[in-house]
Amino acid sequence: MKSQLFNISIKTGRINQQQVRAILALGTLILFVLGAGAPADHGH
Amino acid sequence: MLAVLGGFVAGLLRAWYNGRVFAIPDLRTVWLVFVAFIPQWIVFYLPLTRRLASDEVAAAALLVSQTLLLIFAWFNRQLFAFWVLGLGLLLNLCVISLNGGLMPISPETLSKMGIDLAAHALQVGERFGGSKDVLLPPAQTRFVWLSDRFLLPGWFPYSVAFSLGDILIAVGAFWLLWASGGSKISQASLSH
Repeated sequence: MKSQLFNISIKTGRINQQQVRAILALGTLILFVLGAGAPADHGH
Repeated sequence: MLAVLGGFVAGLLRAWYNGRVFAIPDLRTVWLVFVAFIPQWIVFYLPLTRRLASDEVAAAALLVSQTLLLIFAWFNRQLFAFWVLGLGLLLNLCVISLNGGLMPISPETLSKMGIDLAAHALQVGERFGGSKDVLLPPAQTRFVWLSDRFLLPGWFPYSVAFSLGDILIAVGAFWLLWASGGSKISQASLSH
């Protein structure tokens, strides 16, 4: 029981770590695209 | 941004179809992107300061920011997508730096976007609103083929002009996200 809980917590930790890494990478890519691109839109 | 959204959705669907976890590869020197974006955020995106920045300040901020982003792309060149992203950025940086620090856009392109130049009281050589673009006729533009001269089809609900560099950046971003949801083989091909 104890080892099962430990395994679940490890797995949950991994998923959270993957999610955080994915969000960070996605945020980085969004900022890169916003900064590197120079389109002109009607809003300006 | 449409390419990022489209690539993200496509990558997630691909990962789901292949029974894999959507995983963007590790990026190096991520902090550099955040640092690089600060000048642009102040000059082009933050409503409070956007209108206050002079054209010279805007041009300097754009050049510094894009140079830092180019360094970031170089640090991540082990990923094929960053060659495409970096080439797009390099093309934009070339035309921007050769035309005074802002992206040139012609009066014709702005008219095709449905923008009334007279109503905006825009002069040649002046920055277009709070954007990264400067109004320049093609005859006064260096490397005009790299400027904001492409338009989305008329049926598209959003009017936007973009450059060849912007197209490559969109392709690179889509590629990175699409490959992040792929099979083991295609995920291995992310790097080369």
